Amino acid sequence: MQSHAVREVARKKLLTSLGSESVQVGGVAVAVPDSRAALEDRLRGIQSLTDAALSRLDDQELLTELLERTRAILQADTAAVLLLDYASGHLIATAAAGLEEEVRQGVRIPVGRGFAGRIAAEHRPVILTQVDHTTVLNPILLAKGIRALMGVPLIASGKVIGVLHVGSLTPRQFTAEELELLELGAQRAAPALAALMAHEDRIAAAALQRSLLPSALPAGFPAEMAVRYVPGAGKVGGDWYDVFSVPSGHLWAVIGDVTGSGVAAAVIMGRMRSALRAYALEAGDPAEVLDRLDRKMQHFEPGALATVLCAVFDPDLDRVRICSAGHLPPVFASPGRPAEVAKIPSGLLIGASRTARRQAVTLEITPGSVFCFYTDGLIERRGQLIDDGIARLRDLVTADPPEVACAAVMAALVGGEAATDDIAVLVIRCQPAAVQP
Amino acid sequence: MIAGDDRLRWDGDRIVVSLPAEIDLTNADEVRDALRVAARHGAAVLVIDMSATTFCDSAGVQVIIDAYNVIDTQNQTAATRTHVRLVATAVRRIFTLVGIDQLMPVYPSVEAALADLPA
Repeated sequence: MQSHAVREVARKKLLTSLGSESVQVGGVAVAVPDSRAALEDRLRGIQSLTDAALSRLDDQELLTELLERTRAILQADTAAVLLLDYASGHLIATAAAGLEEEVRQGVRIPVGRGFAGRIAAEHRPVILTQVDHTTVLNPILLAKGIRALMGVPLIASGKVIGVLHVGSLTPRQFTAEELELLELGAQRAAPALAALMAHEDRIAAAALQRSLLPSALPAGFPAEMAVRYVPGAGKVGGDWYDVFSVPSGHLWAVIGDVTGSGVAAAVIMGRMRSALRAYALEAGDPAEVLDRLDRKMQHFEPGALATVLCAVFDPDLDRVRICSAGHLPPVFASPGRPAEVAKIPSGLLIGASRTARRQAVTLEITPGSVFCFYTDGLIERRGQLIDDGIARLRDLVTADPPEVACAAVMAALVGGEAATDDIAVLVIRCQPAAVQP
Repeated sequence: MIAGDDRLRWDGDRIVVSLPAEIDLTNADEVRDALRVAARHGAAVLVIDMSATTFCDSAGVQVIIDAYNVIDTQNQTAATRTHVRLVATAVRRIFTLVGIDQLMPVYPSVEAALADLPA
């Protein structure tokens, strides 16, 4: 009920904002002389598009609604929205009215090619009065017998997120006024679409993350762990941690950070995690595993960058072999001693150079020691030196049970602040065998 | 922005690109363009001057690596090699942490970077 009331208020606001004497289109006041009543009718139609967006319909429903109205307002035969898939650089037919085949067949148009591709590449409207294979890439438009097309880019925050176009089955010259209406529709729809896309992206990334991050240590190790993952503001995705055992009886702890955010980063993260697990089965040394992972990433995910750190604990947890690919050094606290930052060589991060070779170092472990692995979101603050951040963390880590140590670190370094960057923290305590229940 | 603006300056056959105080997602594309323009000149030495940079996140690290790779690729076909050098003070630690000092030497000042003869 309440959401209905909110919607109603929003709708009224929009009607008011649009109900002025003239209409701003692309910064130009468009006069509304004789056909004013007709234009107002059309505008009311467009207002209803925004209204539908505000009502937070399901993504697909919103698009369908938007297209039906756009098509009706412009008295066109077809209307379609293609949304840009950043990963592939393709426009993907996402919703259509009168051109449903396009969506059902999953039409993909590379940016820069064809009618829609040109609109997205050039960030400007295109009107076609000649529709054939020289001007249009999408065979469905040709097969359907479309004779005229008018399309505009969907732009949110200065970036093209897709294309909105209408088509006519009879020869037709779309007018400047009709183009303005379509642009107005696109202007109103784009932010809502961008918000919905971002929302979907966040949900998908979060689901992927949850499915990949382990919550417990493998059985049989005299150790305990505590973990935290906090998505940054609108930046879910790139950080991960992993713990697993291999047949030799070693316990692997991994923490990493893929550059970027959203589903794209989460997907790369997932692939890195799987590849790293596979290489860990084949090679025992973390430096060798990271070098192989680097080669794999450069071949299959060119352009991706990530920092990764592997710590390989002996089966009885008396030694650990650590290798870093550009990742922040872990902090460890032994009982009764101040915590230290592990002295490990900084290997080159993953994805930067084909010739990178890394080195691992071995540390002896005092029973009861706590290791804290983390990503930069935990310690990096604008205007502060990174070493000061690491030192602050070092002063906080104690050889307490992992949950206690982890909670103390989070309370002091994050507190009530909303994280701007992802934060991943993995705390492992190697217990002396005697205290095992 | 870019070519011909005050971020690029020549010193003999060496070119110096000055980067902004903060580099993050909001301006990484601009910085990437600036570095690519500088890279195309085929100078004997390209000095990436981050002495004024006080904040650089992973997007910034990415553009430095991009510049390195552009030049590395160019070097494989060009008659003369371009040596990339990085000048960093406040953000120096970030680059040593991610191991970029293994790809290109890092200097505390532009003077030091220019004074060193090409390797």
